[in-house]
Amino acid sequence: MIKKIKASASEKFIFIFLIILSVATFSTYFVVKNKCLFVKNFNPKDITFKKPNNIAILNAPCGNVIIELYPNVSPNAVQRFVTLIKSNAYENIAFHRVIENKLIQAGDLEFGKKGNLDYGKIGTGKSGLGTIKSEIDNSFNYNKGSVGLARTFKNDTEDSQFFIILQDEPLFEGEYTPVGKVLYGLEVLKKIKYQRNSEYILRPDFINSFKMLN
Amino acid sequence: MNIIRAILLLIFFVTPVKANTIYNLIKIPNLEIYEINTKNKLKYFYAVRPFRLGTQKNIVCSNANKKDLEEKYKIIYKNLNRYSYDYLKKINLKYIVLCENLSISELYTAGIPDNIMKTLILDIQFNEDYFERVIHHEVFHIIYLQYKEIFNDEEWIKFNNPKFKYAECSTCTKNIGLEKYKETKGFFTEYSKSTASEDMAEVYSHMIFLKKEEINQIRKSDPILNNKILYIENKIKQIDNTFTF
Repeated sequence: MIKKIKASASEKFIFIFLIILSVATFSTYFVVKNKCLFVKNFNPKDITFKKPNNIAILNAPCGNVIIELYPNVSPNAVQRFVTLIKSNAYENIAFHRVIENKLIQAGDLEFGKKGNLDYGKIGTGKSGLGTIKSEIDNSFNYNKGSVGLARTFKNDTEDSQFFIILQDEPLFEGEYTPVGKVLYGLEVLKKIKYQRNSEYILRPDFINSFKMLN
Repeated sequence: MNIIRAILLLIFFVTPVKANTIYNLIKIPNLEIYEINTKNKLKYFYAVRPFRLGTQKNIVCSNANKKDLEEKYKIIYKNLNRYSYDYLKKINLKYIVLCENLSISELYTAGIPDNIMKTLILDIQFNEDYFERVIHHEVFHIIYLQYKEIFNDEEWIKFNNPKFKYAECSTCTKNIGLEKYKETKGFFTEYSKSTASEDMAEVYSHMIFLKKEEINQIRKSDPILNNKILYIENKIKQIDNTFTF
């Protein structure tokens, strides 16, 4: 005859504790995995802009980044940027260089395309439109959210790559050509994949879309 | 051995990227901002720790003492402030690095110009007597590097007595005196005799540093230096015709 053993109070307590722990672990796994959970996604249709023709919307994995472009500050650079945005050239292009809380860089149209990433050459690609002259003489305050065109060590080598800074960088003034500033969505940029041990990202995040508002 | 390698790899993989804007801009480590809000937009950095540069790490400079830095910055700022933003842009000079005991291949030097990185490294402990003038001497080296096609050593050599020969290089001679000759005879200083480009830099720095009357006096009494001064004047005008000595 099998004798029925009753669980003691402490055994019941441990059992319940283990169930709670496993439920908590399981749900935390999903919450933590969703890096975009607490990031606000701005809908440009809900916002009134002073200069709607200068507004560009970059859609990243965690939502929209709304950027105001400054054609008065850097007319040629903004023109190039808008040309590439309007031709959808930035779609599926990697955020290939990301420094935590400091800078994100994207726009390598040649070696940064999803499905055709070249880790050996990423950051050196061209747009095919040629380089443009640096526009660095106008004063521009490179504070958090500023968008600029990347270049090589030499001036006048700007093409399609751009960066957005996540902290103030006063030394960038007069060094890099500014094109605009992020109005909404800096938190979206902070969620873009970065690596602690390298500026260049293995299996990076991509730009979903980049469009002008009008 | 494998364990050491594994440890080193582990350290490499867990070491976070510390992005330093100054290093990214001019490739010199261990610097911090001293002053960046200047009229002519020159940005001044100072060494907080010693640094080594170059492919063979043969350029060495130590961190600057705070008191020296305060004192010398005023002098450097005053001297470099005479250059306009436009002029500095044309000659490609934007960053000034202040440090102590600057040396290249163990030879002490007042400054190291790098027109590609738009940087001039200055030793704030360099010879007190000639410190101010030497700042302009180093500025000229930036100009010379930026406009190699304008400054022609062969043309310059012709100004000298045909029997005169420069040394093989600026460090190939023991004659490196910076004191201005009382009787110039074609050269401002002993160091002028080292190489053509050093001679040009000495002429340029004296043109900046000496009073106009003094320069005019030298031009009258020394035909060789008169030609050299005229040469520098014309070449600088080619670069920026608004610049006045």
